[in-house]
Amino acid sequence: MIKFIATNKWFKDRHVLKNINLEIAKGEVIVICGPSGAGKSTLIRTINKLEPIDDGEIIVDGMYLSDPKTDLTLLRAEIGMVFQHFNLYPHKSAIKNITLAPRKVRGLSKNQATDRAEKLLDKVGLIHRRDAFPVQLSGGEQQRVAIARSLAMEPKIMLFDEPTSALDPELINEVLDVMTSLAKEGMTMVVVTHEIGFAQKVADRVVFMDDGEILEEGTPPDIFVNPRHQRTKEFMSSVFHIPIFDANQEED
Amino acid sequence: MEFNYEFDWAIPFTDPYLGMIITGIKVTLILFAATTVTSLCLGTVIAIMRISRITILRAAGTLYVEIFRNVPGLFWILFFYFVFPELLPEKWGQALNHYSHYPVVAGIMGLTVDNASYVSDILRSGRLAIPHGQREAAISTGLGRVQQYSHVLLPQMFRVTLPPLGTRMVHNFKNTSLCMAITAPELTWATQNIESLTFRGIEATSIATGFYIVLAGIMVSIIILLEKYLKIDVSSINQSSA
Ligand SMILES: Nc1ncnc2c1ncn2[C@@H]1O[C@H](COP(=O)(O)OP(=O)(O)OP(=O)(O)O)[C@@H](O)[C@H]1O
Ligand SMILES: [Mg+2]
Repeated sequence: MIKFIATNKWFKDRHVLKNINLEIAKGEVIVICGPSGAGKSTLIRTINKLEPIDDGEIIVDGMYLSDPKTDLTLLRAEIGMVFQHFNLYPHKSAIKNITLAPRKVRGLSKNQATDRAEKLLDKVGLIHRRDAFPVQLSGGEQQRVAIARSLAMEPKIMLFDEPTSALDPELINEVLDVMTSLAKEGMTMVVVTHEIGFAQKVADRVVFMDDGEILEEGTPPDIFVNPRHQRTKEFMSSVFHIPIFDANQEED
Repeated sequence: MEFNYEFDWAIPFTDPYLGMIITGIKVTLILFAATTVTSLCLGTVIAIMRISRITILRAAGTLYVEIFRNVPGLFWILFFYFVFPELLPEKWGQALNHYSHYPVVAGIMGLTVDNASYVSDILRSGRLAIPHGQREAAISTGLGRVQQYSHVLLPQMFRVTLPPLGTRMVHNFKNTSLCMAITAPELTWATQNIESLTFRGIEATSIATGFYIVLAGIMVSIIILLEKYLKIDVSSINQSSA
């Protein structure tokens, strides 16, 4: 579904993605973690070409991103993206936030788009907030609307860049629950997050990045419990103060 | 010296002076309404040019603002009245000079180019106040460049800049009086005309002053109401940029 081949990217003379090779299958859920500045955001933003790459190739659902003839609108319509700060349109109600792109990009009629948006609002548990403006919604509600907005394009891939790190702790789970059910439905997901519980439960693979490189990747226990690299170990113990084995034992 | 002016408040209300005042009010309102629309349109285009990634557009937009903002509005009104017809092919220029409403048209053009430079400045600052994430959200749902502007960026630019845009429009309203210099029969011109015909300028001018005060007051109230009405969406812009 997504394939990085020897991808490199520089910001000026800063080498922020170093020879990235990564393949993500249809229906897989990948969690990316790593220290600040590792290049996690940059990596997932290259998937919908929010950031262009300088070298190598990324193939998304058969589309070659370095090919200038690739239809970016089509690519982006197939990829949903959820941001740390939600980025809802503040001048539009929840429902209008969701119907905008399906109407303008997919060409849905107002009624079709509204029907679809209402189903999605129901799915994320916010149909009663249908006409609320972003400022009237809590952070968790805003993020769920933002997820619904992305899903309204019926994407094949969903990208999440730290979707819960701007939220108050008590609001995190409502967002993770929506993401978990999405994963269960078979959505291909790439998630930058430090929510270890979510990663343990939902991720097929965890990718650990440091300084622009993928240092290691594997199943959640591989990375969280038995990391091979010293750098990964240090990061895990500094981020997750709880002993890692505790989290692991909660499974079954 | 003794103050021996005797007021005659009936004069401005008698024929033909009443007609001049009514025409003056009409022309002032036409100048104001027309230039509000045209300067908002032109100002928006210039603002978009100035924030464009295309260097030539950016340079052209900046040049526009430098030229039109740094030369007095009155100059542009005179320019469009006296000079502009001469720059056109002779037949067109003559047609303009013989067109009886040309003073009003020239006034609209002069006020527009002047006001648009300020409007573009205000809108540009509004664009800079919108967090990057707004455009990124629009891009990542597949919206094209024009759609990003028309549905996401411009509506927010107008909302965040409503107070300075409103103030700008009041300025523009007052500037309509400059068109008296090219004999556009707007309200200030009418009062001057009555003064020169009857020496009853004070009465006519007082009426005009009252009109300007009342109308500017109405405009300010409308702006305050609009701000209140749109406030709910504006305040969250800052929140999502946190
Ligand atoms: N637009 C940009 N221009 C220049 N440098 C940038 C830009 N965006 C990111 N960088 C740099 O690239 C590197 C990787 O940034 P990135 O945002 O991908 O890291 P991250 O892993 O997402 O970090 P965080 O956990 O803080 O979000 C950082 O050193 C950052 O300073
Ligand atoms: Mg990041």
